Amino acid sequence: MGRLTKGQIVEVAFWLILAAFFFAYSFEFNNDIEIYKYGATLWPRTILLLIAVAAIGQLLDQRKNGDTAASNTMAAAHEDSAQETEYNSLGWYINTFILLSLPFIYMTVPDMYIEKAGIPEEGIAKVKIIAGIVLFLIYLAICWRNHVGAILTLPLFFAAMMEDMGFYALAPVFIIGVMILMGERRITRMAMIMPLIYGILIAFFVSILYVGLPTGYISPFYEFGSWMVNTFQDVFSK
Amino acid sequence: MDAFNNFLAGTVTLFSDPVGILIFFGGVVGGMLFGAIPGVSMLTLAAILLPFTAHLSPEHGIMLFSVIYCTGVYGGAITAILFNIPGAPENAPTAFDGYPMTLNGEAGKAVGAAVMCSAIGGVASCIVMMAATAAIADWAISAFGPPEIFALVFFGLAVAASVGAKSFWKGWLSIMAGLMVAVVGLDPVGGIERYNFDMPYLAAGIHFIPTILGFFAVSEIFVQAEKKATGSYKAPKLSVDFPTFKELWQHKIAVIRSAIIGFFCGVLPGIGATLAAFMGYNEAVRWSKDREGFGKGKIEGVISSETANNAATGAAMIPLLALGLPGGALTAMMVGVFQMHDMEPGPLVFLNSPDLVWVVFAAMFFANLSILLVGFLEAKTIVNLLRIPFQYLAPLILLLATVGAYAVRGLTIDVVVMFVAGVAGFFLRRSGYSVAGIVLGLILGKIGEQTFAQAMQMLHFEFTGFFERPIALGLLIAGFITILASIYGAFFKKVPVSTPTADG
Repeated sequence: MGRLTKGQIVEVAFWLILAAFFFAYSFEFNNDIEIYKYGATLWPRTILLLIAVAAIGQLLDQRKNGDTAASNTMAAAHEDSAQETEYNSLGWYINTFILLSLPFIYMTVPDMYIEKAGIPEEGIAKVKIIAGIVLFLIYLAICWRNHVGAILTLPLFFAAMMEDMGFYALAPVFIIGVMILMGERRITRMAMIMPLIYGILIAFFVSILYVGLPTGYISPFYEFGSWMVNTFQDVFSK
Repeated sequence: MDAFNNFLAGTVTLFSDPVGILIFFGGVVGGMLFGAIPGVSMLTLAAILLPFTAHLSPEHGIMLFSVIYCTGVYGGAITAILFNIPGAPENAPTAFDGYPMTLNGEAGKAVGAAVMCSAIGGVASCIVMMAATAAIADWAISAFGPPEIFALVFFGLAVAASVGAKSFWKGWLSIMAGLMVAVVGLDPVGGIERYNFDMPYLAAGIHFIPTILGFFAVSEIFVQAEKKATGSYKAPKLSVDFPTFKELWQHKIAVIRSAIIGFFCGVLPGIGATLAAFMGYNEAVRWSKDREGFGKGKIEGVISSETANNAATGAAMIPLLALGLPGGALTAMMVGVFQMHDMEPGPLVFLNSPDLVWVVFAAMFFANLSILLVGFLEAKTIVNLLRIPFQYLAPLILLLATVGAYAVRGLTIDVVVMFVAGVAGFFLRRSGYSVAGIVLGLILGKIGEQTFAQAMQMLHFEFTGFFERPIALGLLIAGFITILASIYGAFFKKVPVSTPTADG
């Protein structure tokens, strides 16, 4: 009989807590449907029950068979399994969780502050820009020793800020950020590759396919995005 | 003979119209390219083109989408093989063995097998589609009601649970997680909002394109980034060494079996190429003497998956054109093309617009054939993408995925959802879960719930009603046997090892 590891217990606990939370939330929409006596809850509750059964089955299987539990099925996911590295400790998970929460703080806290403090429309841009800079500095400070956490968080930052600052202004910074996190250190290479990727994408999607990418709505990002769209479409229409 | 004459007439119509020829070749190249570019898919192209089809004739609009469907399904195999990024869910099983083949320096062989088998599966499917559309449509109408479709979804999910994850339990949890994601939004019977947490965006449900892009494209970048950070990254080896005819001939039974599986999965509404590919792959494993070799770079895995998913493309047109039921995302967009021209797909299309039907059939036949010609040329070029260092490819893929997620509905929140799915996919993959299972659960979840509700209403809420429907009963029993066999295998067919890992 195998001894259960902390990781295996946490994994099963995660699924059971998730199932319990969603089961409790299902009472929020437990309304009758006239033509369907099972209502809107039977299907999700059955899935949640099966999640709980599978989680307990996994626990029992791992208890009986140790770490090799049920590995007789296709091994496609094995390659991806976490290796015993610095990126698998409790400290790393906490650090990464804090990093991942930063983009969501950007998406919620400034709006709450603007609403509560009654900031006028012309002040919104300033609040958003200051919030973005502060959170990005916190990101840089925390991710210093967490390479994987940094790469997981950067795209979320990019997506979270896109609504306000637009694709056109953020994409160059994002491209350089990803290149650095992937190990590129040569400034000349980055200076050549960044405009190439940026130019190809915008030329193809904006100028040829007319995909309207977000320009953002706060100044000066909005002006920059609009200028880019007009310039590229003018160049290709001539 | 009628079918052959109609096919000839459709071919003449197709190739005597310069605009039609241009659209045909545009669709062939566009489908392959978008299928093959990491981070975007044929669905991205179709979503971008959908509004523009209003300016085309109905024949050209539907033909364009059907050609993109055939070549895009093949194109998705290229990224699955080279980068472990399936262009669409139907290419997910291709990655199981295709990507390990790339890591072993056999990318060319895997791509070559995908080219050959996609063409064979697609052409065979088109021939059967043209010869037997009416008969199969009649049979499907009479034999497949909601109970049978629900039973088939159940069977498909039971099979898929045993594929791709580290264990049966993790496979099952992956499927269930996908089904739960599909629950978010409106319930299919009463339109009641579920799990929206008072967020307007969630009221409409989570769109599957950003989710798919996140789970596959983005999580793959994260996995590779972790490997780079830990120093375990292996750059894929470049090779353009295509398989010989003899090598492919050795797997003729797998091709025939997968073509049959693919066709029958494709013909059933709502099931389509995804389940076809999973079942084709699963059966290849089941019938193989070397089961352990699957998942490590076995060409038979690529052959089975690619034959089956392309065999489903022709078949998927049958429920669409005969019943008006889309088999998947792209055929659902085709319904949109019909509606933009004030037409409804269904039996009346055969009566009112036979020209449209046969031009589309002819175009699909030649699109599958062109995979052989254009596919080999394209593959030789695309394999060279491997020369691009990953630090340059990664931002390109992430930005392409961003554009793809945003272009669907023009919402930045879809981009956030995509990256959240990418982070979730990263953690799930490193814990041995199957992202393909999650996506399959997500796509089949809505159909499963809808058909279950319809079935129960039809059977007056008596579960015993399933016993009176032999096809539904057979599929349910097959599904339960699959699950029980997996549970038995999990508990009783292993050597117990009591080696705790370092984190315990």
